Amino acid sequence: MNCADVKLAYMLSCIVLSLIILSPTLAHVVSFPEGEKFSELWILGPNRMAEGYPFNVSAGVPHRIYLGVGNHLGKLAYYKVYVKLRNQSEPLPNSTAGVPSPLEPIHEFHVFLADNATWEREISFSFEQVSFNGNVCRIGGLMFDGHYAAVDKVAVWDAERNGFFIQLFFELWLYNADISDFEFHNRHVNLWFNMSTVP
Amino acid sequence: MKLTCKRYLSLITCLALLSLLVPLGFAVNSNEAAEAVNQAAADLGSAFAAVAEAEQAGANISALMAKLDVAGVFLTQAQSALRTGDYENAVSFAHACSDAIEGMVADAAHLKLTTEKAQADSFLLATIGSSVGLVLLCVFGFMGWKLLKKWYLSRLMDMKPEIRDVAE
Repeated sequence: MNCADVKLAYMLSCIVLSLIILSPTLAHVVSFPEGEKFSELWILGPNRMAEGYPFNVSAGVPHRIYLGVGNHLGKLAYYKVYVKLRNQSEPLPNSTAGVPSPLEPIHEFHVFLADNATWEREISFSFEQVSFNGNVCRIGGLMFDGHYAAVDKVAVWDAERNGFFIQLFFELWLYNADISDFEFHNRHVNLWFNMSTVP
Repeated sequence: MKLTCKRYLSLITCLALLSLLVPLGFAVNSNEAAEAVNQAAADLGSAFAAVAEAEQAGANISALMAKLDVAGVFLTQAQSALRTGDYENAVSFAHACSDAIEGMVADAAHLKLTTEKAQADSFLLATIGSSVGLVLLCVFGFMGWKLLKKWYLSRLMDMKPEIRDVAE
């Protein structure tokens, strides 16, 4: 080992030591790249799995689902989940344009989540005041999470799929502190139901 | 007799009119309920913004989060009552929401300031410590290099072959 090698080894040791000495200061200054930022919105069936979702429903029969929200935005978030009901002719949110459905919500949830936290809630619902008249089914109300909402929805008989179809969907909105208001977070999940006369 | 009857009749009429007016005086109308709920929503939004700023500064906001959760539940109930036309409950829940987050903006701002000060002190301490450490490293490193070089050269000298006799 010649003098130049010894000198090189010594300098490298000093550089490594200096980095160790500087690490407390560097920890305050250097920010590591963060992963992808996103939010989650999901519905699970009555067994808290992605299966067994209610489909054939009838008046007065309660059903159970689980609604969940996840925060991966890297910071505290304030979410609002709008619950809306539509028939086949009414508009869903437009994910391409990032535009929510213009329908009025029948219920909402206010959720505060820290980064990497999740919120999940068991929800029980049933359709009330359901009447059938020819090829039209009228739904007067929806009992949702213990709250009654007068919905007055009309579902027309779908000859192709053989049923009266109604859809419950959930929109995820995020609070923007800059404008002090909520913005549609371009996420929604939905469940189709076939309203039948037989429970 | 007639005068007494007339007096009683007028008294009963007054009482009947009053009983109609009293509920009207205390009943909540839809505008008042909507205003109360909107105010509660605005208060909750402001409280959240303050807590989010404290969180960005690195503060421990778990206690404030618990209050936000409670206020969020009250606001959900208030909105639900408003939709169903139960204005009195809507106002009641709206007030409960605002009460749950009362003073939170100030608490969050104080927490943010405290955390920022603590972080600034920590950064200063780290910078001073690192500077002292680097200076010591330079000084002892230089001295160490001198000693190492001296030791290396003395070892090298010890390894020099000796000249004994020149062969003729």
